[in-house]
Amino acid sequence: MSEVVAEAALVEGKTQAGVRYRAKDKTPRSRRSKLRLRNTLLGWSFIAPNFIGFALLTLLPILALFYVSFTDWNAFGQANWIGLDNFRRLFTKEPNFEIALKNTLYYTVLHVPLTMAASLGLAILLNRKLKGVTFFRTAAFFPYICSIVAVAVVWNALFHPEYGPINEVLRFIGIDDPPRWTVSKEWAMPAVVIVGTWREMGYYMLLYLAGLQTIPREQYEAASLDGASSWQQFLYVTWPGLRPQTFFIAVMLTIGSMKVFDLVLVMTDGGPGTATLVLSQLIWNKSFKETGQFGYASSIAVVLFVICLVFTLVQFFVNKRNQK
Amino acid sequence: MKMQKALALGIAAVIAISLAGCSSDDPSTDPNGSATGPVELTVSGWSLSTTPEFQVLADAFMAENQDIKVVIKEYDAADYETLMLTDMSAGTAPDIITIKQAKFTSLWVQGGQLLDVSDVVAGLGPEVSGSSSYVVDGASYAVAYRQDHWVLFYNKDLFDQAGVAYPDGTWTWDDYATAAKALSAALGQGVFGTYEHSWQSTLQGFANTQSPGANPSLVLNGEDYGYMKPYYERVLDLQASGAQESYANLTTNKLTYQGQFGKQFAAMLPMGSWYVATLTSQQASGDADGFAWGIAPIPQYDSSTTGLDKMPVTFGDPTGFAINKNIDSAKVDAAKKWLDFVASEKAGVELAKIGIVSSVSTSAVTEAYFAMPGIATDDLSKFAMSAHKTGPENPVSLNIQEIQSILNEAHSAIMSESGSVDSELAIARDKIKLILS
Repeated sequence: MSEVVAEAALVEGKTQAGVRYRAKDKTPRSRRSKLRLRNTLLGWSFIAPNFIGFALLTLLPILALFYVSFTDWNAFGQANWIGLDNFRRLFTKEPNFEIALKNTLYYTVLHVPLTMAASLGLAILLNRKLKGVTFFRTAAFFPYICSIVAVAVVWNALFHPEYGPINEVLRFIGIDDPPRWTVSKEWAMPAVVIVGTWREMGYYMLLYLAGLQTIPREQYEAASLDGASSWQQFLYVTWPGLRPQTFFIAVMLTIGSMKVFDLVLVMTDGGPGTATLVLSQLIWNKSFKETGQFGYASSIAVVLFVICLVFTLVQFFVNKRNQK
Repeated sequence: MKMQKALALGIAAVIAISLAGCSSDDPSTDPNGSATGPVELTVSGWSLSTTPEFQVLADAFMAENQDIKVVIKEYDAADYETLMLTDMSAGTAPDIITIKQAKFTSLWVQGGQLLDVSDVVAGLGPEVSGSSSYVVDGASYAVAYRQDHWVLFYNKDLFDQAGVAYPDGTWTWDDYATAAKALSAALGQGVFGTYEHSWQSTLQGFANTQSPGANPSLVLNGEDYGYMKPYYERVLDLQASGAQESYANLTTNKLTYQGQFGKQFAAMLPMGSWYVATLTSQQASGDADGFAWGIAPIPQYDSSTTGLDKMPVTFGDPTGFAINKNIDSAKVDAAKKWLDFVASEKAGVELAKIGIVSSVSTSAVTEAYFAMPGIATDDLSKFAMSAHKTGPENPVSLNIQEIQSILNEAHSAIMSESGSVDSELAIARDKIKLILS
C-alpha cells in the first residue's frame, strides 16, 4: 500500500519529502532481502569447496552408477540401455553372487558386535585416571593408521597354521588341533574379522570415549548412593548415556562392514576357494579384473547400496522407537 | 559489498580450478593431424628396472630409425591390465600397447581398442611364431616379440649333493615326483625337492595341454574338469610328504619362486623360460646364490612324449605388441615399423643377449641366446629351450577370464586342502556351466 502511495508521489513529481518517505518505507525490506542474499551466499561459499568436490567426485559418479547399472557398458564402448538384464543375470546366472552376499552378511554379523564390544570395553578401561593413559589410548588407535598391506602381511604370519604364534599359543593351552585360519574355508572369515576388529576398534574407542565424558558424574554418584553395583551402573547409566554414540557407531560399522574390500583382498584374496569372497570384491572382479563389464558390476554395486540403505533405515527406526 | 565481491571471486576460482582438470590441451598434436619433426611413439612397459627388454628394443629400433623417438611408459606389472583398461577407457593409452597376457586380446579387440595389423603379420617370415594367439575372428591384432614356454629348472649342485640323477629328458610327472621325494629326503634341513608356485597355471596349464585328448578348447567347454585330478593328487602327495613347500606356507608367507630356487631352498622349479634371464642376472648381482643349474623339458603326462627324439608338450603364451586404434593417423606407419622390427632377426638377437626367448627362431638368435654369460649350455638345456610343442595357456575367448577365475577358486581350495579335488572341480564345472548357459 505504502509503495503505491510512494509511486504515485514520485509520478506526480511531489516534494522531496515524498521521495524521502518512499525511501524510508522501503529500506528495512530491501535490507532484509539483501541480508538474506548475503547470508545465503556466505553459506554457499562456506560449503562450496567441499560441495563442489563432493558433487564432482562422489555425487555424480553415484548417480551415474545407477544409470550405468541398466546398460551394457564395458569400459570402452557405448553404454546401451538393456533394462533389467544385468540384474536378471546377477540373480540367475552369477554363481558367486549368492556366495559373496552370504559372506558379506557373515562378516557384518560377526564384525559389528565384536568391534562395538571391543571398542566400548577399551573406552571404559581407558576412561579412568591412570598413569600413562594417553600412551594406551594412542596405542589402541595405532592399528587404525597402519598401512593395511603391512598389517595383512604381519597377521598372515601370525595366523600361519604350523608356525604362527597364535596356533603356538593355542597348542600350548591344550588345543591339539587348532584352526588352519587363512587356509581353511571355515576359519578364513573369522581370521579376517579378527584383523578387522583389531584395526577398527581404536577408532570407535575414541568415539565412545568422547561419549563417556559427556555423561554427568552426578548420575554415577546418585546411582552409587542408591546402592547400584558397577554392572548396574553400566547398565542403567553408561549404556543409556551412550545411546547416540552407539547408534552412530552401529550405522557406520554396518555400512563399513558391508563394503569391506581392502582387508579381504590383501589377506586372502577371497580364498580359499570362495570362502572370503565379498560383494565389493565381486564388483572389482567383474569390472577391473576379468572382463571390464562396468555395467554389470554396477548392478552389483546397486544391490550393495540397497542393502546398506535398508540396514541403515532399520537402525534409524529402531533407534527412534527406543528414544520414545 | 567488498565481502560479496571477494566471495564471488572465491567461488569462481574454486569452480575454475575444479573444471581445469577436465580440459585437455595437448600441445604436441598438430591441429591438421600431421606430425611435425621426428615422430614420437609411446610404448607401454612394466617394471623397467628389472625388465630391460623394452629399452633394449627401443634403442635398437631408434638406431635404425633416426626420425622416430620411442618413449616407454611404465606401468605396475601386477596390475598392468587393470591400469591399461583405465587408460584405454580414458583415451590416454600409449600408441603401442604391449599385450602382457594374451587372454586379454579378445576383450580389447571387442572394446575397439586395437588396430587390425593383419598386413604386418602377413609379411612375417615362417621363423616368427606366437602371433596366432592374437587372432580374433580371422584378423590379427598383435605381433609376438617373445615366446616363452614352461621348462623344468634344476639345481645341479643340490642334485649332486643328494646323489640323485639329473633329469634326462625322459621324465614323466611320476618320475619327477619320485626325484622330488628322494631329493627332500637326502637334503633335509628345510631344502625341498621342488617348488611349485601358487599360480593355477603350474598345474592346470599342464593338465590343459598334456592330458589325453587335450586341446585349447578343453578348458572352455565347461564339461568336466576331472582330467586335472591326477595332477592335483600328485602335487597334494608331494606337499603331504614334505617334498615341496606347502601351499599354506607359500601364501601366508608370500614366498617368491625367485627366492626359493635362487637361494637354494628347492632343487627343482617348473617355471616359464622368462626365468632364465632373471636367474642369470640375479646370480651375477648376488641376489641369487652362485650354483650350477640346468634346464630340462617339462615332465610329461606319459612316456609317449618323452625322450630326446620326441617333442615334449608344454604350454606358454607369447608377449606381443599391438597398435592403439586411436593412434594419431600420422604415426601409424612408424608404429607398423616398430611391429615389423620386433619380429626381426636383429631384434631377436638383441633380446637373446639379455636372456629373452624371442619369437624369432633362427640359428643366429639361438647362438646369441646360449652365448649369454651365466646361462646353462649343456645339451639337455639346449634341447629343452628349442624343442617343444607349446599349447596356449589361455585360449582366445571372451569368457576366458571368468572361467580362469573360477578355476583359480578351485585351485586355492584344493591346494590349501580345504576342499576335496572331486568336489571342488565339480563346483567349478557347475559354475562355469551356469556362466556359459
